[in-house]
Amino acid sequence: MRLITHNMLKCHVKNCTDPNQQFPLRFKDVQLEQIEAERNDEFLVRMLPRLDWPALLTTSKELGYSLPQSIPENPQDKDEFLQALHTFILETHVKEGSMVCNGCSHEYKITNGIPNMLLAEHEI
Amino acid sequence: MKTPVADTLALDNSEKEEQYVHAVYNEIASHFSDTRFKPWPVVERYLNALPAGSVGVDVGCGNGKYLGMRTGDIFMMGTDRSESLVSICSERKFECMVSDGLDLPYRDGAFDFAISIAVIHHFASPERRLQAVRELIRVVRPGGSVLVFAWALEQNGRRKFDPDMQDVLVPWVVPSSRKRSETGGIDDAEDKVYHRYYHLFRKGELADLFETAEGCEVSEVGYDKDNWYVIARKL
Repeated sequence: MRLITHNMLKCHVKNCTDPNQQFPLRFKDVQLEQIEAERNDEFLVRMLPRLDWPALLTTSKELGYSLPQSIPENPQDKDEFLQALHTFILETHVKEGSMVCNGCSHEYKITNGIPNMLLAEHEI
Repeated sequence: MKTPVADTLALDNSEKEEQYVHAVYNEIASHFSDTRFKPWPVVERYLNALPAGSVGVDVGCGNGKYLGMRTGDIFMMGTDRSESLVSICSERKFECMVSDGLDLPYRDGAFDFAISIAVIHHFASPERRLQAVRELIRVVRPGGSVLVFAWALEQNGRRKFDPDMQDVLVPWVVPSSRKRSETGGIDDAEDKVYHRYYHLFRKGELADLFETAEGCEVSEVGYDKDNWYVIARKL
């Protein structure tokens, strides 16, 4: 799982409804892998509105990566920013571990790079 | 071969889906995947028309046949209820996860677009099909779009259905030759037949589902490849 994907996820346990807690899910005992990918600046710049930047920032700190506090002006001209973003959201893969909800502590497992987001019957 | 009628089954809806959808796809995943490689033209056109920078999700992505169709300037992730199919996607290096279309694990408005191709006909009640459409709309941003395909009752291909019977079990045959090759040539194999639950959509029914779901505007309705399809824009 790439970190762009993690930025879209939230806890969906039935009684877990506080939007400040459901998202972003906190990583636990994760194994990361860097896999090189071709950088596409047009994609990166145009997809920025889809990212929840504060959540991405929280996750980057948690995993020891460095991203700016906010999206810079004229991001298309900021090579260093685009490279850091590309590396973090598209080249960093979570291979194993889990994601924990800060609200209800539900744990979603990631095995072999695949998150399992299914809930038990009583959690739906 | 007589096809059992799905609505006489003494199972509740989620049990029907477990037995006649989830379990079957997990069993037939590799054979199913080998028969699913050609993109449908409407889906291809839809994906190719998306602006660069689009981020989307394919709900019920199967073997990921659409996940690799356009890469580089858009990003698409897949999700499926079948762990076996998701594993196939993952081996193909596609971004994917296991989740349920009735309860997607994505934040509201996360995506520019969502597609669900030949999936919602597997939900076994009107309420569940509506919930599946509502989830697709929920995870798309205002102004984003949703494309859904579902099997038609009025098919003019090789399959013919009784016009009075919308809820059916449709056989999937894994041929014995394939089973032999998978068991190293041990010749104990017969054709194996699995049954999948389908709700066959009548003309107009899919668009009605979007109307009922609310929060979106149907922009295109059509018929292709034995399916009805709808493209809707989130308001």
